[in-house]
Amino acid sequence: MLRYILKKEFLLVFRNLHAVGVLFIMPMAFILIMSLALKDTYSTQVQTKLNAVILLSTKSTAINSIKEDFKKNKYFNISIAKNEEEKKQLLYNNKNAFLVKIPNDIFKKIHKKLPFKINIYTKPDVQQDKLALFQNLLMKSISSIYIKNISQSDLMNNNFDFDNSIKTNYIYKNKDFTVKPNSVQQSVPAWLVFSMFFILIPISNAFIQEKNLGTSNRIKSINVSLWPIILGKMLPYYIINQVQVVLMILIGMFIVPKLGGDTLVIQGDILNIFLISSTISFAAISFALFISLISKSTEDATSFGGLSNIILAALGGIMVPKVVMPEFMQQITEYSPMAWGLQSFLEVFVRGGSFNDFSHYLVNLIIFGFIMLAISYTILKRKNT
Amino acid sequence: MSIKITNLCKKYNDNIVLDNINLEIKKGSIFGLLGPNGAGKSTLVSILNNILNKDSGTIEFFGKDFDKNTSYVKSMCSFVPQTYAFYTDLSPIENLEFFAALYGLKGSILKERISYCMDITSLHKYSNKKSSTLSGGVKRRLNIAIGLLNNPEVLYLDEPTVGIDPQSRNYILKMIKNINKQNNLTIIYTSHYMEEIEYLCDDIAILDKSTIILHEKKKNLLNTKELKIELQDNTIKTFDVTNSYDSFLNFIKEQDSIKNIDFKHKNLEDMFLELTKQDLRD
Repeated sequence: MLRYILKKEFLLVFRNLHAVGVLFIMPMAFILIMSLALKDTYSTQVQTKLNAVILLSTKSTAINSIKEDFKKNKYFNISIAKNEEEKKQLLYNNKNAFLVKIPNDIFKKIHKKLPFKINIYTKPDVQQDKLALFQNLLMKSISSIYIKNISQSDLMNNNFDFDNSIKTNYIYKNKDFTVKPNSVQQSVPAWLVFSMFFILIPISNAFIQEKNLGTSNRIKSINVSLWPIILGKMLPYYIINQVQVVLMILIGMFIVPKLGGDTLVIQGDILNIFLISSTISFAAISFALFISLISKSTEDATSFGGLSNIILAALGGIMVPKVVMPEFMQQITEYSPMAWGLQSFLEVFVRGGSFNDFSHYLVNLIIFGFIMLAISYTILKRKNT
Repeated sequence: MSIKITNLCKKYNDNIVLDNINLEIKKGSIFGLLGPNGAGKSTLVSILNNILNKDSGTIEFFGKDFDKNTSYVKSMCSFVPQTYAFYTDLSPIENLEFFAALYGLKGSILKERISYCMDITSLHKYSNKKSSTLSGGVKRRLNIAIGLLNNPEVLYLDEPTVGIDPQSRNYILKMIKNINKQNNLTIIYTSHYMEEIEYLCDDIAILDKSTIILHEKKKNLLNTKELKIELQDNTIKTFDVTNSYDSFLNFIKEQDSIKNIDFKHKNLEDMFLELTKQDLRD
């Protein structure tokens, strides 16, 4: 008897290819994506170095010495730039992670035991551990200059405050933006985008139920254009997506701080958030329509749609922040619609960016949405005529 | 003539589903389309409802070319699928409002039409209940009510009485007959219940193995009377007395050992099984 019970169960499992697909393809995809995404995080061999720039007004031997020290480390590429150069340009356009301004007379000040100030400029979405590492390397380099330039007795009596001699400054895209980087500011946009794309589940369920019940055939036999039907399907889910956005922002603003977390702060133009959420919603709903139309059953849609969403999220920097990924994975990220949504939100929530800073992501999302919609329309139309 | 089908063919890959179908459906008639499972009935009905494309052949719809007048055809027809093709989470009134809007009805005309359809199908009592909670019979009536919203000239009813109790079935059959009489509506009715076809239809066609094997007026079809003569040696001889009464008389005269004579008025089911044979279908 057991033989036949087992036979039945194995046959059922292996004839349900979608379930088996999810069981095997999902972990395989995850192993691949996550291993590559976290390659630098857990490896002793760092392949992607962060770029740092020493800002300089005149030549200085002290700075040359610091530069030489940095050359020996495996985490940062160091270069020199003129002090007059625009910091925002250097950080955002030239893709540098850190700028450091060291006083030219640092040697003199050290000799005379005078206080000095070193300024580090960085982006608000920088990894805090990388910032700490950079600060430590800088301190180590300056301490060695300090030790070389003072007598042993001075060193013994030293009460120099290194911690307060290095100051970190966040450079935002918008100079009026003052939100300090924190985990909520980074994670709310990520999970917001992820949840918006999961609109796929209710859409595909409704679509496939219509197909199974024969309602879609009945509608096809009616003399009605496809566009109002498609629009009628999209609008309610668009509203649901917007409610999601408002709710998740409110949770970040009021619930997370109550539980001991950081507070989500919204600064700048609310219209930008609305524009981004609307565009993400359009892309997510169009994608959901496409998945619904190529799926034969709710199981198909749930497994294929869920799987594709999770993979898009893993590739798009939702699960592992893009900044943690090695360079080549960061480039792959550029092709995930979720990344376009996330980067748009991060521009507004974290970097204080304006419309121009995220408009190219919105264009990508709109193109993606229209392609999905056009394919969906063609599939519907083909069956309809 | 409301619909004239000439040499209609449809294939799915290499599988011929409809092979040279020729049919004429009279305006105002109830046309019964019979056939075993997989005979091609649903495909034919889907083509006539613009859900599927035909591969070849022509269809004339109220004198107009079917392919060139899709909007006209769609506006004149209504399709009631075998399934409960409505939203079970909505109430009957909400379903009717939705489909009426798809048919382009608005304002007071929409309300009047909904009210009329609910009257005909006796749905008023259930108008605000969630459709999923309704009995099979009421769901079937709602399915038909939706089909009547656009005041069609041709109504396709695909097995509209499947899975309901005799009372509901009886009500629906009478209702269909009334709608046909009152509105001179052409109804194309598919069913596996022979007695329904016998009761309702004026013309009957049997579709089997992708072709029409019989298309006849009901009155001609059901006039067929059969005589079975059992001889002493247990052999049975059958005569169609409607068409070959003389040969029957001649045979009787020659026999001196008749054991039993059985007169049978052939019903549609007998004819159907005779024509389509009794072997099981896919």
